[in-house]
Amino acid sequence: MVSLVAHNLSLIRAGKLLLDDISLSARGAGSIAIIGPNGAGKSTLLKTFAGLLYPSAGAVALGDQALQHVPADERARTIGYMPQHFAPHWDIRVRDLLRISVERVGTAAAAVRVDEVLTTHAIGDFANRWWSTLSGGESARILLAMVTAIDPPILLADEPAAALDPLYRLDMIERIAKRGRTGICIAVMHDIDLAFRFFDRIVMMKNGQVVADGSAAELFETSHLEETFGVRFLRSKIDNVRFAGIGWPTGSPSAKQVAVVGARSTVGIVKAAPL
Amino acid sequence: MRVWITLGGFVFLALTVGICAGHTWEGPDAVFRALAGDTSMESALLLEWRVPRVLAAALVGALLGLGGAIFQGVFRNPLAEPYLLGSAGGAALGATVALLVPLSLSQTFSLPILAFAGAWGATLLVIGVARAAGTMDVSTLLLSGVAVSAVLAAFKSFLMLALSDETVSLQVVLSWVLGGMQTPTWAGVGGLAAVSLAALLGCLALAPGLDKLGLGEAMASTFGMNVDRFIGVAVLVGAATVAISVTVGGLIGFVGLAAPHIARWRLGPLHRSVIPASALIGAAIVTLADAIARSALPPAEIPLGLVTAVAGGPFFLFLLARSRQW
Repeated sequence: MVSLVAHNLSLIRAGKLLLDDISLSARGAGSIAIIGPNGAGKSTLLKTFAGLLYPSAGAVALGDQALQHVPADERARTIGYMPQHFAPHWDIRVRDLLRISVERVGTAAAAVRVDEVLTTHAIGDFANRWWSTLSGGESARILLAMVTAIDPPILLADEPAAALDPLYRLDMIERIAKRGRTGICIAVMHDIDLAFRFFDRIVMMKNGQVVADGSAAELFETSHLEETFGVRFLRSKIDNVRFAGIGWPTGSPSAKQVAVVGARSTVGIVKAAPL
Repeated sequence: MRVWITLGGFVFLALTVGICAGHTWEGPDAVFRALAGDTSMESALLLEWRVPRVLAAALVGALLGLGGAIFQGVFRNPLAEPYLLGSAGGAALGATVALLVPLSLSQTFSLPILAFAGAWGATLLVIGVARAAGTMDVSTLLLSGVAVSAVLAAFKSFLMLALSDETVSLQVVLSWVLGGMQTPTWAGVGGLAAVSLAALLGCLALAPGLDKLGLGEAMASTFGMNVDRFIGVAVLVGAATVAISVTVGGLIGFVGLAAPHIARWRLGPLHRSVIPASALIGAAIVTLADAIARSALPPAEIPLGLVTAVAGGPFFLFLLARSRQW
C-alpha cells in the first residue's frame, strides 16, 4: 500500500518560515485538496512532497523510506507531479513529449506505450500537434496525460485548473480527483467550490500551518472556511452535492451590506451543459 | 529517414567540393582517380595534402556541432554556444599557455590538456555566476559569458604580448587563435576520427537527459534526474568536445550556434536526432568554410575562423531578430 507522510515538516527559505511543523499523512487511496489563502505554503508543501524542496526540519516518508533516500527512478515511478506552470524550453510535438515521459521507466516499447497513452487519455488527435499551438485547456490535458502516462500511484497537482475556462476546469478537476479512487491524489486548489465537491478530504492551510484537516463533508459544516480565508461563504446543497461559494467579508456586516449581497445572484460551476 | 539521407548527401557534397577546392581547382574526376589508387604526382599530392585536411576539417566541424548541441541542450537556450559561453575562450587561453609558456610537458600533451582545462573552467565559471544570480535565463548567461570571455581574452592577449619573442613566433599563435586547420598526417586524421567517435558516443549518451532537462528542471527532477549532477557531467562532456576541436582547429565561431539550430528546425527537439544531425551539419559547414579559406585568395589562406564569422555573424543577428524557438 502506497503512502506519503509528512512528519513535523518545517521549511525555511531566505529566512522566512514557509512550512511550520506540518504533519500530514495519505495512505492507500483518496483525493485530498489543499486549500488556503495566498502565501499559506500550499505549493511549497506540494513541492516538498514531490522531492523538489528539502525540508529544513522533519521529513517526508514515501512508504517506509525517507523521500530523500528513495532512489530517483523509483520516486519518478511512484510520484507524478503536475506543476502550476509548465512550458517546455523547446517547442515539441505532443507525441515526443509523451515519449520522454514514458521513457522515465525504460525505453523498451516506448512508441507502443505512447500510443496507449494517446488512446486511454483520448488525445490521439493531438499526437502531432506542437505544444505552442495548444490552447490553455488542451495543454492542461496533455500535461496531465504526460504526468500520469506511467500511471504513478501518487499524483501531486499544483492548481491544475487555475487558468482554465469553466468547462475545461470542471473536466480537469474531475479527472484529477478520480485518480483518488485507485491511488493518492493531492491537489492544491483555488476553486473552493470544486474542492468540496470532488475531493474526499480537505486540508486547510494558513501561514505555513495546517489549520484544519478532515473529510470534505465534515469540514463543509464547520466555520474553518471562514476562519482560514477571512470571508463568509454561502453554502448550499443541490442533489446532495456541496457548494461553498464566496459570500462577504467576515466581521459583522451592516444590515445594508448583507442586503446588497443577499440581493445579488451568484453563479457557480455545476456541470457540463449537454452539447 | 529522408532527412538523414539529405544530410548525408550534403556532407558527401561538401567533402567532394572540399577536396576539389584549393590553390588549384581539381575536377571530381581527378579526385576519383586519386582515391582509386592512381600513382601520378597530382594524385599523390591530393591524397597526402588535401584529403586529410578536408577530413580533419569535417571532423572539427562535427565536434563543434556536437559541442553546440550539448551546450544548447544544457542551457536550454538556442543562443548558447561554446564561443559565447566562454568555453572556446577558455580553451584558447589554455592553448596559448601551452604554445607560449615553456613547460616541462611536451606540446602534444600540454595543448589538449590545457585547452580542456580552460574550456571546462570557463564554462563552470559562467554557470557559477549565473547560478549565483539565481537564474539561468538568456540574458544572465550571455552577459556572464561575455564578461568571462572578455577577461580570458585579455589574459590571452597579455600572454601573447609578454611571452612571444624570436623563438616563439606570434604568427603561430595568431593563426591558431583566428581559427585555422593545419594539414594533418593520415595517422593524425585517424586519431582525430577515433576521438570524435568517442565524443559522439559520449554526447549521444546524454540525449535522454537533455530531453528531460528540456522540460524544465522541476519536471526533469520529478522524472528521476539528479539535475545538478547531470548538468555537471554534460558540461564536462561538452567542454571536452570543444577542447578537442579547439586543439585541432583553433577558434572557429558560430558553427556550434548554427548547426544545432538547423538540426532542430529540420528534425524537432529530441536530442537523439539533434545531436547526430548537428554533427553532420557542422561537418558540412566547416568543410565548405575551409574550402573557401583555402581557395578564395591563393596562394594565401584566409583564417577559417574569419570565414565562419563573416557568414555566422549575420546568421546570429538573424536569430536574435526572430523569436521562434527551435
